[in-house]
Amino acid sequence: MISSFKRVFQRVLEAWVILLMFSLTAVVVGAVVFRKMGHSLGWADEIARVLLAWVTYYGSALAALKRAHIGFPGLLERFSPRGRVPLVLLGEIFVIGFFLLMAWVGMEVYRILEGDTLVSLTWLPLRLTQSVIPVGAALFVMAQLLSLPEALRTPRIREPETHSQVPPGSSEEATP
Amino acid sequence: MTGTIIWMLFLLFALVALNVPIAIALAIVAAGAMVLTQGPEVLPNVALVMYDGATSFSLLAIPLFIFAGAIMNATGISRRLIAFASALVGFIRGGLAMVSIVTSMFFAEMSGSAVADVAALGTILAPAMKKTGYPRQFAAAVLSSAATIAVIIPPSIPMILYAVMAESSVVKLFLAGVVPGVLVGLLMMLLSYWFARRHNYPVAEAFEWRKLWRTFKEASWSFLLPVVILGSIFGGLVTATEGAGLAVVTALIVGGVIYRELRWSDLRKAMLEGAVSTAVVMLLVASSALLGSYLTELRVPQKLAEAIMGITENRYVILALLNLCFLVLGCFLHSAAAIILVVPIVMPLIHAAGIDPVHFGIVVTLNLGIGQQTPPVASVLITACSVAQAEIWEVTKVNVYFVGVIFLVLMLCTYVPSIPMWPVYLFYGG
Repeated sequence: MISSFKRVFQRVLEAWVILLMFSLTAVVVGAVVFRKMGHSLGWADEIARVLLAWVTYYGSALAALKRAHIGFPGLLERFSPRGRVPLVLLGEIFVIGFFLLMAWVGMEVYRILEGDTLVSLTWLPLRLTQSVIPVGAALFVMAQLLSLPEALRTPRIREPETHSQVPPGSSEEATP
Repeated sequence: MTGTIIWMLFLLFALVALNVPIAIALAIVAAGAMVLTQGPEVLPNVALVMYDGATSFSLLAIPLFIFAGAIMNATGISRRLIAFASALVGFIRGGLAMVSIVTSMFFAEMSGSAVADVAALGTILAPAMKKTGYPRQFAAAVLSSAATIAVIIPPSIPMILYAVMAESSVVKLFLAGVVPGVLVGLLMMLLSYWFARRHNYPVAEAFEWRKLWRTFKEASWSFLLPVVILGSIFGGLVTATEGAGLAVVTALIVGGVIYRELRWSDLRKAMLEGAVSTAVVMLLVASSALLGSYLTELRVPQKLAEAIMGITENRYVILALLNLCFLVLGCFLHSAAAIILVVPIVMPLIHAAGIDPVHFGIVVTLNLGIGQQTPPVASVLITACSVAQAEIWEVTKVNVYFVGVIFLVLMLCTYVPSIPMWPVYLFYGG
């Protein structure tokens, strides 16, 4: 039941993140092409920045599901599987607690921003662009909970999808 | 203030020891300090500062370069580059080691990530080296150290991060990375030759002009990528971010239309790779924006600069201290985390000592290049060991010579700034 929900959650999140990456590339490349043709897109910079923030927050939830965020598992690995459980849970409480707080604060931000819009596209409300704060935080909490059973088995962070061509367990880190 | 900083550091170490992701540990510590000093009404500001931290235009280059690199990996570009490098230098004793280095130098011009580099090239070259009689620890050491060239020769993701953190020019940093990157590559080739003569490693293949021409023609479209990426950026036609966007389009055209080797599943995987790797780095950037705003309020970077300038104003002594700091940090921290944590704090010191931020950026990049090779946290070395199925400490015994080469170039670049900086002076005046 949980594993099938996790699979659906991952698929939906991946599809959304792929759409964001595609849009981000299209906006940046489109801006160059239009500028060279003498028609600068005044909104392109602002929208690209919003898309980057969205890739950051939604991509972070996906990275949490894969336990791909940069951490230091070295100390926990020294404990026996049973001995490390309370420490892993304590760490999880901090992470989940922080993002629950951010989800709540994000709703407060959503309330504060009523009536504000982007500078270049005055029809686009800031409430929509900043909605990523509560939604992204809530998704992070879900991803963290769904990947918890595996984290309890081994604290070692996993490679993101990208380095899957490397044999498993090859790297402690996920990024450049 | 000292008491606050001490408990912040204590909490940060405790959270990191519990394997809380570093980005989240930083955010918890900074948010906690802000709430304690300014009250809970500061919380909406915490969320907004983190959001704004993830919206710099220069940082947009990161997902795009990662995405472009992933497309290149998926479309046989690495295979063609290896074939060309093999025809070019494979006839020299220890030729396959040189092929690794030459291919890494080509690959570095398209990809900004050393882990991506070692993963793409190592899966082909490590088995080939073992098959022809190279010890596996030597194969892993060469692949690992050569991959570090990816972060020195532009485009480079650590340089983009540094430029944003130091409010410096990405393009100038890219220019300053060219000479050190080529120097590291050439010195590593010399070292490989010395190893090959000493241990009688084999020659990969006989030299043939016809083969060189054929492999060049097959790889020629791959060479178009660095021309487009670096030519348009250095030529002033586009910004680094726009150049990254063009790199994606060119990679799609070369891989999908010309080579016809790009499948939808590869493209999907490449987009996910770009997004997840970007999110991991950008969450760190967002958290550091929060921590940075708090530390700036306390004037910590300025006080640190004043304290060190009170001890010495000699820029070479200051650079030596910073080199030591980054070399130690590189053993324990991922390069992105080290840049994000340390650079904003030391920049006032760099300005006060009269050090060019672009010059310092190259020093930081080379330091963290070494950090990728030094256990316990050594992303590139660990990936190379896994690919070559070699034991980390055995590889490190050989790798120490190659790391020595990077260290030598680091010392040259630290104390003879004109070595990395002359292309910058050439383009921008000095």
